[in-house]
Parts: sequence; structure tokens; C-alpha cells
Amino acid sequence: MTSLLSSLLLRGGRIIDPASDTDAVGDVLVHDGKIAAISFRHGALSKHDAERTIECHDRLVVPGLIDPHVHLREPGGEAKETIRTGATSAARGGFTTVCCMPNTTPTLDTPAMIEFVRMRAREALQARVYSVGAATVGRKGEQLAPMAAMANIGAVAFSDDGDGIASAEMMRMVLSVVKSIGRAFMQHCQDATLTPGGVMNAGPLAARLGLAGWPAVAEEVMLERDCRLNRSIGARYHAQHLSSGGSAEILRRARAEGQPVSGEVAPHHLLLTDAACDGYNTNAKMNPPLRTAQDIADLKRAVADGTITVLATDHAPHTQAEKARDFSSAPFGIIGLECALGLYVKALVDDGVIDWPRLIAMMTLEPARLCGLDARPELHGIGTLSVGGIADITIIDPTSPYTVDLASFASRSRNCPFDGWPLHARATHTIVGGDVRFELPDERGMASVGSGRADARGHHG
Amino acid sequence: MVTTASADFLALEGLSADELRSWIDEAEAMLPFATGARPIASPAPLAGKLVANIFFEDSTRTRCSFEIAAKRLGGDVTNLGASGSSASKGETLLDTARNIEAMGVDAIVVRCAISGGALMLANALDVPVINAGDGRHEHPTQGILDLLTLRRHFEEMHRSGSFAGRTVAIVGDVMNSRVARSATHGLVTLGARVLLVGPPTLVTKDFESLAGAGAGSIEVAHALDPHLGHLDAIMMLRIQLERAAGGAIAADYRSQYGLTEARAARLPERCAILHPGPVNRGVEIDDRVMDDRRLSRILTQVTAGVATRMAVLRRLLAGR
Repeated sequence: MTSLLSSLLLRGGRIIDPASDTDAVGDVLVHDGKIAAISFRHGALSKHDAERTIECHDRLVVPGLIDPHVHLREPGGEAKETIRTGATSAARGGFTTVCCMPNTTPTLDTPAMIEFVRMRAREALQARVYSVGAATVGRKGEQLAPMAAMANIGAVAFSDDGDGIASAEMMRMVLSVVKSIGRAFMQHCQDATLTPGGVMNAGPLAARLGLAGWPAVAEEVMLERDCRLNRSIGARYHAQHLSSGGSAEILRRARAEGQPVSGEVAPHHLLLTDAACDGYNTNAKMNPPLRTAQDIADLKRAVADGTITVLATDHAPHTQAEKARDFSSAPFGIIGLECALGLYVKALVDDGVIDWPRLIAMMTLEPARLCGLDARPELHGIGTLSVGGIADITIIDPTSPYTVDLASFASRSRNCPFDGWPLHARATHTIVGGDVRFELPDERGMASVGSGRADARGHHG
Repeated sequence: MVTTASADFLALEGLSADELRSWIDEAEAMLPFATGARPIASPAPLAGKLVANIFFEDSTRTRCSFEIAAKRLGGDVTNLGASGSSASKGETLLDTARNIEAMGVDAIVVRCAISGGALMLANALDVPVINAGDGRHEHPTQGILDLLTLRRHFEEMHRSGSFAGRTVAIVGDVMNSRVARSATHGLVTLGARVLLVGPPTLVTKDFESLAGAGAGSIEVAHALDPHLGHLDAIMMLRIQLERAAGGAIAADYRSQYGLTEARAARLPERCAILHPGPVNRGVEIDDRVMDDRRLSRILTQVTAGVATRMAVLRRLLAGR
């Protein structure tokens, strides 16, 4: 990838690189899209070494954030989001790489569809976009999709996200295939026979509102089944958007057995309970649904003890008209790319569940490994800050208070329950391949020195 | 978004005991007019007013009841029915209601399969919205008419219309019943002890939380027989075959929860029998029990229904 500014100095930031166990103040020099030097010796690198210097005092300099679970809706859902708007939204949230789910129309279940995403991703300059292919044709769970061919052309993992694979036999086959091609399978754990018409957590509020419940056990039953199936297969299995404490317990046991299984959470499952659905608030309608305070506590414990290793967003754009429907017929999901970092800091760091380095690892190194990004030659060094590795870097202001402002989002959609929330951590710069793709507007001219350009965002000829 | 809580009638949840009592009082005051025993004074309260009944679900009784109520008050009524898939989404409901509002009606009475559907309309429309049953959520005019029926029954039997200490069983498919939810909110707020009885598939512990801050209490039970001898009233719910998909109602339903003649014989002498109708005779209630003039208040409920709807229409529309 070419770079507009061939050299860039990030000076005086707190450099956190979980891969090398680094957490110290220093300078990072970027040259020709790669990290050229990292120095912890004050003054070893100076602004004369680079065409542009970004002063990073009181900032965190971390590997570019990676989200292994987003919905960019293209093709077929361009009114909600496109690969381009989704990538812009990602960059604004500090994400340099996102992996998009295959529940598009048509489904990403052929090499041609994976190639389509790759083509569109090349035009979406703000962040790197990789695709997750469907494991079964049309995500129907009936016929294996051509996963090997999709993997060859660039699919980084496989999932029927939006639906769990209902048939145990089909699941067994999918696990065998992903094992053989060295990719991860990401499961949306939901035994649909337990959730007929279910639109929110089964419990007192669902009873009061007269809405059909989606109980935690429907997630747990499928996760338990999958872990049992995978015992003799040993595939790389990943449970998406865990919502229940029971699921964390199942995952903890499987990992203790030594299975290559992992799990992720999304910010909303750590910050909101099903109480948010009261008044038929469709911006609190997610799949899996928001659950109880006990589930939040259990999920946080699972993050703290390393049972849950990946932090995702499940960024799920929907139009305002769709979310204006009644609760039962409105679609599931909320957008999350542009507020996830601040929300995770609030839920996990402020609460003392994990520290900054672990948070960064869960948003960089862990998802990079899950999706095999670290094994791709063009992404050498991704998820880390390594000399010679690609310069995907996020600069974070960890302490300045701000308010989530939905109106300012770059996403095409506005379905988000966190509008107006006070947060204090966010990305100020998102650097992809050495190129500053996003810069917080009021940062320009204040923290940056030496940039002669009015707009440092990349526009490739 | 113009929403004034007082301008709509959406739910019994959240109404205070005083508010409930005033609705019951007003409904009771309408009783002589509801039956036509007394003509409404001129000028009629709803003279020149047009009420639109939008019924996205089949209903004869409730629609008729609202229609008669409006006409007794001197208003005009227009009826809109719709069924099938075109009406299944809230979008369609809202679009229809917006169109009807634009035609200049004075109130919209809505029945729909969508829990929260009436609130959705109320949030979007300026015209008063009356909930005639929204999915499994609430059916508040049914709730008031049940409370009115019970209060009059208690006055007759106990010389006191107080709900405090009275035990009322609601039996059947509570899960899928908006009638049960509205009645429960009303009864608990007024201090009654509510027994929700039915199979564990249709009555879960979650329903005990409906009590909220109400003066009364809620208990969930899965057996009817042990409670028969202690009831002041028993409300049998219609088995909602159309909503209870998934095989949740077993063939032994009648033998466990049906109000058979044998069970009716074990009820206290002064226990009222209610049913929101339409009745599945021989399923949730036996023919002879239903027609027992001594205890059955089922037809009283129907008359109270017209009176209740008159009270609601009058308060929301008269002088507006």
C-alpha cells in the first residue's frame, strides 16, 4: 500500500504493544508504510527524521484496532451501510481492520462474492476490510459452501452469523472442513427451536411487555453441543457475541480441556440489561438479546480471567425506517464501530476488570490471530507494533471527556442506544499502512506539527 | 412527536388506584345508558365526532362494543378491518393509522397483533388512541370492564366493593393473554390477591413481577384444584389456539384447568365466574357453568364493556 506521507513520527506517546509486552513512553517512526523504528530513549528520534510529527504526550500509541465482527451490508443492504461508509465508520472508531459478515444479499458464499468484497474493499480507503465467508450455502445450514475456494481467494474465517448451524451433522462437517483449511469458524449460538418469535431476553420484562422471549439457554445449548462436537475434531472454533454467564462457563470448561475455542463479547452486552427494552425501544433489540446484571457480571469475570479473549462490535446497521417498526418486527442489532473503544474502556478498564494492555490485546492481537490476519504476507506485523511490520497504528486519547454524538457518526445508520453517553476514551488518529486515515477534527493543528496538508486523509490517485 | 398520556388510553399498567377507581366510577355511571335504559342527554357528548375502529385482528365483540358505545354517545363510527400478511408489520399499521388520521377522525380505536402497537400509534399521532388490544400486551378497556363487573359483584355479595383481600384466579393461557395482563395490573393495584393458574408452559414465575408496587399480590400456580375453595372470583381465559403455537397446550388441558361442572361445584357460593369471550365451550369452561345465572357474570361483562367504552370515549373526546 502506498503512502501519501512517506514518513511520520509519533512522538512521546505511551506505547502499548501486547505482543512484545511493551508498555512504555517512547517514539514510533513510520517510513514507507512500515514501522521503521521504535525508541524509548528520549530524543533519539527527532522531528527532523520525519515529514510529519504527531505529538502523542498523554496519548496511547497502540496497534491498529481490529474488529472481527461487523456487518457492512454490501451487497444488497446499501441503504443501511456500504463497505465504504462502514470502513470510514471503522476508521473514526480507531479500527484499521474489520472483518465483515456474510449475511448479505446475495450471501458471501462463493469465491465470486468474496472477490466482490475484496474489490469494493480496495476502494474503501479508510480501513482494511476482509470478509468472513458463509459456511453453508445461503447460510441455510443445508449444504456446505465452497470454503476452501473462498479461503484461497481471501476469506479470513467462516460463519453463518445471524443464524446458528442447527444440524449437528452439518456442524460436524463444517468443523472438519475449517480444520482442514486452517481457518476459524465463528458461531452465532442460537438453538432456534428454543427461540420461536423471540425478540428479547426471556424474563419478567418480556412477560410484562407481551413479547416473546429468547432465553439464555438457547445460546448455551448450542455452545455446549459445539464444544462437544469439536472435542474429537479440534477445529478453531469461536463463539460470537456471548450474552450469558452460562455460556462463559461452558467456554471456560472447554478451554480448560485444551480445546482451540474462543469467545467474544460486544459492548452492549457489558453495559446494558434487558431493562433497556422497556417502552418497546427497538434500539435495545439485539440478537442475542440484552440480558441481566448477573450476566454482565459473569461476562466481565470471563473477560478478566481470560475465558473471553476477543472484543468485537457486532456493528449492525439498520435504517431508521426499519428501526421505527414495532419491536417484534424491527430488525435486530445496533451500530458500534464509532463508540466501541470508549464503551469498552468504560465497561472494562474503568471498572478494573482488565488493564489497558489487555484491552488493547483483545482488540488487536487476539482478533488478528483469530482471523489468521497475522499469517497473511501483506499484513506482516498486524496486531503488533513491530519494526519492519505494517504501520497500522491507533492513537488514543484515554482521558478527555466527550459525549457520544450519533449525528456525527460516519456510518450510514443511526441505530445506537448510546447517543449522549459520557465517555472519555477515543481514537484521535487512525493510521493505516503509514497513512493517517482519520484524525479527530480538533486535533489538527493542535497536536500535530509539520503537516503542510489541509487534509491528511488518503486519496489514492 | 405529540404524546399526551391523558389523551390516549393505552394500558392499565402505571395507573394509580385512584385513577382506576375513577375509570370504574365513570364506567358504572354509563351503565344505564349502555343498555339503552336511559337515553343520553342532548346535546350528545360525541355529537359531530367520528371514531375510527381500526381492527387488524378479527374481533366481533370488541369492535361492536366500541361501535355501540360511540353511537350511544351520539358519535359516528367508521370501521376498518384488515387481515393477512399486509397487516402483520407495524409499518403498515402506522401508515394506515396516519392515513385515517389525515381524513380527520376524532379518535382511533386500534386492535392489532403487535405488542406495543397502540403505544406506537399514540407516539406518532395527534389524535387520541384507544387500545382495543395490542398483541399479548394489554386490553385496558377489557380490564376496566372486568374490574367494574367484579366490584359490582363484590358489592352485591359482600356489601363492599373493595378489592383488598379478595382472591381472584385468572386461569389459562396467561402467556398469550392481554386480558390477563390488564386485569392483573388493575387487580393488584386495587389490592387484590391474584392467582395466575395454568400449565407451566403458559404461566411462568416471571408473571409475579407484574405486581410492581401494587397493594395486592400475585402468585403463580400450576394446579387449579387446591385453590377452588378460596376464590372470590375466577376468570377463565380463552385458549388462544391462534397464538399458542408450538404445541404448548396438551390434550389434558380441560382435565387440569377447565372449569367443569365438578369444579364449579367446589367454588364458594359467592364466587363470580368471568370469561372475556368468545368462549370455547367445553374446553376452558363447560356449557352449564357458563350459563349458570347465579355465578356467571359473563353477560354482565358484555354490558359493562359498552359502558366502559362509553366512559373512555366520553372522557377522551367530549369537549375536545
